[in-house]
Amino acid sequence: MQSINKNYRAFTIALLLFMVINWEGCKKLVTVDPPVTGVNSQNVYNTDATAVAALTGIYANMVVSSNSLAAGAQSISTFCGLSADEFTLYSGVSATSNSSLYYKNQLAVNSSPSAGGEFWGGIYGTPLYSCNAAIEGLNASTTLTPAVKQQLLGEAKFMRAFFYFYLANLYGDVPLVISSNYATNASLPRTPKAQVYAQIIQDLKDAQGLLADGYIKADGQSLYANGSEQRLRPCKSAATALLARVYLYTGSNYADAITQASAVISNSSYYSLPALNSVFLANSKEAIWQLQPVVTGHNTEDGWLYVLPSTGPSTSYPVYLSPQLLGSFEAGDLRKVNGNWVNTVTSGGVTYYYPYKYKSATLNAAVTEYTMVLRLGEQYLIRAEAEAQLNQLSASILDLNVIRTRAGLPGTTATTQAALLTAIQHERQVELFSEWGHRWLDLKRTGTVDAVMGAVTLAKGNSSGWNTQQQLYPLPLGDIQKDPALVQNPGY
Amino acid sequence: MPPRYIYKLMLIMRLTTVILIATILQVSAASFAQKVTLSEKKAPLKEVFKELRKQTHYDFICTDELFETAKMVNINVRGVELKDVLDQIFKDQPLNYTIDEKTVVISTKELSFIDKAKEAVKDFFTNTDVTGRVLDEQGLPIASATVTVKGTSNATITDAAGYFHLANVDDKASIVISVIGYEKMETPVKANVGSIRLTIALSKLDEVQVIAYDQTSQRLSLGNIGKISSKEIEEQPVNNPLLALEGRVAGLFITQNTGVPGGGVTVRIQGQNSINQGSDPLYIVDGMPISAQNNLLTVLGPLGTSGGRLNGGSSGAPGSPLSFLNPSDIESIEILKDAEATAIYGARASNGAILITTKKGKIGQMKVDINLQQGVGHVTHELPMLNTQQYLQMRLEEKKNDNAAISATDYDINGLWDQSRYTDWQKTLIGGNAQYSDFNGSISGGTTAIQYLIGGTYHRETTVFPGDFNDQKGSLHFSLSGASTNQRFRFQLTGNFLADNDQLPKTDLTSTAILLEPDAPALYKSDGTLNWEPNSSGTSTWTNPLSLLLVPFLNKTSNLISNALLSYNILPGLEIKTTFGYNSMNSNAFQAQNVIAATKPESRLTTSRSASYSMGYSNTWNIEPQITYKKSIAKGVLNLLAGATILQNNTNTSLLSGSGYNSDDVMQSLSSATALSGNSVISQYKYNSIFGRVNYNWQDSYIVEATARRDGTSRFGSGNQFHDFWSVGGGWIFTSEDVFKKDLSFVSFGKLKASYGTTGNDQIANYSYLNQYNNINNIVAYQGIASLAPGGLNNPNIAWEETRKLSIGADIGFLKDRILLDVSYARNSSSNELLSYPLPAITGFTSVFQNLGATVQNTSWEFVLNTINIKGKDFHWNSSFNLTIPKNTLTSYPGLASSTLVNTYVIGQSLNLTKAYHFLGVDPATGNYIFSDINGNPTTSPIANRDNYVLIDLNPKYYGGVQNSLSYKNLHLDFLFSFTKQKGPNYIYANPQALAPGSFFAGFSNQPITVLNRWQNPGDMTSIKKFTTSSLGSIPSSDAYYADASYIRLKNVSLSYSLPDEWIKRVHFQNCRIYLQGQNLLTITNFNGMDPENLSGSSLPPLRVITVGLQVGL
Repeated sequence: MQSINKNYRAFTIALLLFMVINWEGCKKLVTVDPPVTGVNSQNVYNTDATAVAALTGIYANMVVSSNSLAAGAQSISTFCGLSADEFTLYSGVSATSNSSLYYKNQLAVNSSPSAGGEFWGGIYGTPLYSCNAAIEGLNASTTLTPAVKQQLLGEAKFMRAFFYFYLANLYGDVPLVISSNYATNASLPRTPKAQVYAQIIQDLKDAQGLLADGYIKADGQSLYANGSEQRLRPCKSAATALLARVYLYTGSNYADAITQASAVISNSSYYSLPALNSVFLANSKEAIWQLQPVVTGHNTEDGWLYVLPSTGPSTSYPVYLSPQLLGSFEAGDLRKVNGNWVNTVTSGGVTYYYPYKYKSATLNAAVTEYTMVLRLGEQYLIRAEAEAQLNQLSASILDLNVIRTRAGLPGTTATTQAALLTAIQHERQVELFSEWGHRWLDLKRTGTVDAVMGAVTLAKGNSSGWNTQQQLYPLPLGDIQKDPALVQNPGY
Repeated sequence: MPPRYIYKLMLIMRLTTVILIATILQVSAASFAQKVTLSEKKAPLKEVFKELRKQTHYDFICTDELFETAKMVNINVRGVELKDVLDQIFKDQPLNYTIDEKTVVISTKELSFIDKAKEAVKDFFTNTDVTGRVLDEQGLPIASATVTVKGTSNATITDAAGYFHLANVDDKASIVISVIGYEKMETPVKANVGSIRLTIALSKLDEVQVIAYDQTSQRLSLGNIGKISSKEIEEQPVNNPLLALEGRVAGLFITQNTGVPGGGVTVRIQGQNSINQGSDPLYIVDGMPISAQNNLLTVLGPLGTSGGRLNGGSSGAPGSPLSFLNPSDIESIEILKDAEATAIYGARASNGAILITTKKGKIGQMKVDINLQQGVGHVTHELPMLNTQQYLQMRLEEKKNDNAAISATDYDINGLWDQSRYTDWQKTLIGGNAQYSDFNGSISGGTTAIQYLIGGTYHRETTVFPGDFNDQKGSLHFSLSGASTNQRFRFQLTGNFLADNDQLPKTDLTSTAILLEPDAPALYKSDGTLNWEPNSSGTSTWTNPLSLLLVPFLNKTSNLISNALLSYNILPGLEIKTTFGYNSMNSNAFQAQNVIAATKPESRLTTSRSASYSMGYSNTWNIEPQITYKKSIAKGVLNLLAGATILQNNTNTSLLSGSGYNSDDVMQSLSSATALSGNSVISQYKYNSIFGRVNYNWQDSYIVEATARRDGTSRFGSGNQFHDFWSVGGGWIFTSEDVFKKDLSFVSFGKLKASYGTTGNDQIANYSYLNQYNNINNIVAYQGIASLAPGGLNNPNIAWEETRKLSIGADIGFLKDRILLDVSYARNSSSNELLSYPLPAITGFTSVFQNLGATVQNTSWEFVLNTINIKGKDFHWNSSFNLTIPKNTLTSYPGLASSTLVNTYVIGQSLNLTKAYHFLGVDPATGNYIFSDINGNPTTSPIANRDNYVLIDLNPKYYGGVQNSLSYKNLHLDFLFSFTKQKGPNYIYANPQALAPGSFFAGFSNQPITVLNRWQNPGDMTSIKKFTTSSLGSIPSSDAYYADASYIRLKNVSLSYSLPDEWIKRVHFQNCRIYLQGQNLLTITNFNGMDPENLSGSSLPPLRVITVGLQVGL
């Protein structure tokens, strides 16, 4: 009897064990905690720290590697500089590489080799999506510190405007994507450029109202002490400066452009024009917004790419200054003096000139330079141009001469509106070279692109010459195929 | 009733003086048949028992009272079975005997009056109650054996201790005892048939096959199952058990991707089912599922990948996780292919399952086994490349053709390099001998109560590269099993631990060895340092290949797989059991990136040392409670199984990158780095399911089976976490019909079987359904804080891929099963494929993960023929042949035209497809390649994605193997040929780097000798373009670049000699065997690359390994 009892007991225990394990709740057994290596999208905008981190991610990604939007060999600065007359491409670079296609104004996307869609994907890809997701997430969030929420919303709107500015200038009419919903976005058509500009202006105005009037620390709310600020997050002045540029570009709001530029220029507690070799230093007084280098051991990626080693250009250092740019400097221009904004290296008996705005290209050197995005010098030139357009010639000359004086040049000799506008364009060419494709965008907006590029394209080695349709970059083929509403730019 | 029987015995022992002519535990590994030699005259029965005990080790239980009634014994026998001797002794005695296991129990012959009356009644009705006990060869009770009264539905199941009781049995009938893996035993009816020992079935048809949660045999199985046993594994000098399967199992295609120790192995069972997700089978070691990809190793090194994709990643993970399991610890490997065999594994078995069973201890005296093996491995085939003279001729001809001057960077022909030098780089860099050593020892034994096995192995392999690189493995295997005295409670504990220390160069030198120019400089300078052959300005003119060996790769991995099984037999046939499994893999890898000693001298100042570290663990535990019930119903036997699985995996890997070291020697230490950045993958996977199976076997003639499983996984979002899988199958053993028994008796066995069912695939990344913001890795913190970026678009609706498997097969045996033929046809259709649905970039991302209606179909015809050709006294010859004819087809893919895969796949074609241009030849006028455009017009520059209309299927057309096993007396020879019919890339037109013949790019320029057949002058009719630096053009994308890569390979030869018994006895060995083994000995192929198996131009081909060994049993 005893053994039977034992058996029953064992049986009951075993059965209980079986049942407990089996019916403890299937659902619970396949439920896992969210991963600890990332933040669930629903939670990103629930805490100040993660919300700040998400916006910071947009800036960091702009310079995250030597092939980013704002850094290095495939940046807007490099490709637009190659498209225009700023850079010469090293002869050893393969004719099928995308830098070569930009350089020879031979972009094409539906044949091999193809190039031209880089910034489409580069901007519409995570950066713009991140802005839209941030605006939605921030608006919906109820748990953030109000000051943080306001600043970040301002940053997101500013960044959206910033990205659309380049999309519209590089590709023309572009789809206006202002939500993160992929289902609806996937079939959007192109939006007329004017409408895109309207959105940019709206976003920048919103940003002006939201952003702090100074530089914010990484906590998203407190300001740096005056004089020790890190100019790494867009502030109200950044929105104002970009708005000034946008008004100038739209061509009908010169008065507004003057107002906005003046707002920045007059903010002398933050901004002034330092000596040439101090302009591109970290937290320079000229900087309205800079990006911090994030590649380990590197200063700016532009410095890393443009500063040529003693062996001269190579496939690793493929660009140097073009004869057209070098020829356009006036005699006595300090910017062209070796060791200022231009430097030289002689290799194999040939002297190569390269941009030397960023000077540090030594591994593991202390970080002394930041990538400049918006700076005060451009604001003087914006105001000068807007004033000239409104025929306020003396004011315009004053502004222009501010820039010329720093470069060690005498006052401008231009006296007529037309001559002054030409002088301002020339000044922009030699002041803003190798920065953010200013030259390429200026040629296009002033209508001089055909006249200039006709000779330059031939000189760059494209025997078929300039084709005016090349001034708009082509949309990537993949998007044309996947979104039937999209139409390719003419000529591609 | 059995317990009462034992109870009575105990009582006898207690009440009377027991003469127990025995020691308590008398165990012998000798076989069941006890031969006795005895010559006695008028000897007392007691003395006779003493003598018998001495000879047989059988115990005798008898009371003094009974001895007193005994008569003197006269007997004279020589070499007679114990039972016969006892029959003779007891013929005239007033006593009776019964044998219970190894005990002879004596009782009186005289029956009481009542008993006599009972007997009389029984005799009248001729019916008896039968009791008995079923034991295995070792004397262990067999639970759940089926005991049937022949020809009736009167049947029962043995209990935990092997006892059975059948009521009301016709006296003249016989009872049949059957258990899987044992010969069927038939015995005449008696009230007590005593202990019946079953013998292990020798026929291949009745060999045990391990299946999901059970065992079966080929005779009764409805599934499509292949099996490899320890014998075949031990015959092969391989470092990964998967490699022992090559060519031996129909429907299983295995590719060794590199000859580097620990390298990747791709395994496909009946083809690739998933377009974009993992296609690896489910691996189960002793009931414990283990990972199919080494997801811990995040630095690739030279190991190559295991094919396919790692959980939704873009490629497979480095190496093979199965290389962390010691092949010599394995008892058998079963390959489950169809739905019938795999549906009970549900969501994980879409790509089939591979069950690995490790060795267990056996009853007997302690046995010590020692196996020592030593050998060498080397590369078998050199790619014929240009020698210096031919090379220089090519280069100069190029200069002439291109009308180009010899430039300052043409080091090979401008005088900088010594043009009189010739180095056979393949011989220099990969021509070495890899040492192969394997030392294995084990101790095993046991009693009926407990059985044990402990084994240890040390394995070391070096490489064919110059320098001291090696892979060392130490492993420990143990198994412990036992049972309670009443045999109801049983346990089994197994553990496999392996520690691997793989020290290799970071770079596999194979590619360098092929491509390096034949006149490249000397490796060393006269002072013994590496020669960089600088030009006048101090720039190195080449990358010294030995510098690549200065960049180390180190991978230390330990792997523990352990499993505990507890079972309790509640009632005869009803058993409850639970398995607890645990697998822990730890990996610690180091890989240097920039080592100053390996850097060109002129770049050393601007180079920063950098290195990667990968550290991780993956722990999995698995609990599977099960209930099984076996009952005979009508004339058949019903088997039921119900169970559940609870599995959890935690993976944590860190990848650290360091830089800024001040010396090459300190790079293994994290603290030497001045800057560190890291990346972590931390994930959790949970999996839970319930399953059941019903099997009904009607007299071994008709068998039906159904399985069902409900699975839940954490890899999908709520709403899609659960899914049901099922299968049904049936079989008809037609040879049990009378017509075959009488008129068609040459067909000794015949079975038709069919099954249909569903399985799934959840081999995707964890958390794929979640929208994640991830930290941006490896950057200097922007503004001093970590930054986040969106990881992708989420799709919470993703769900299982499902494969519907249909399988039809026939097993036929002829001439008493000496010829066994299996034919099966499988059609697996995988749908609901998880794919990236393409999106325009304006949405932020270019794709979103979705289940698309794409369908992949794999069909396969499989033939297996086993024959016993000669079965003589001294000479045996067995053969085995298998052949698989697979076909892989993408049957549908909605939206393919707009997807990124539009140029990769074609509906109606195989997934492993290349779209190529059609090559027309070399234009005799210009010496350039010409192709056909889509309209058939010749062109020199065909247009991508338009003119590449030639479809080339790179899947094998058929594959298989032929194995022969011959033995003559003590000599044994086994050899296996494997064969594959396939297409692969060829290297006639240019080297594997596809550099145009004639171009120079230091370290990459040598060309196969076939390029000598080039165009030289207008009018030349040839297939090779003129030598020119202009790019090779479209030839690598043309059909000419693919050729027959079929091969027949003598995969394995094993020759062994067992030393004669007399000699062994003299030195007190149990056995002793010396052997010679070889792997990849001979390859017959038209393929012109290095190796038709891995088809790679850059990975080390599988090595030819030849070993000698000695195996001793003590």
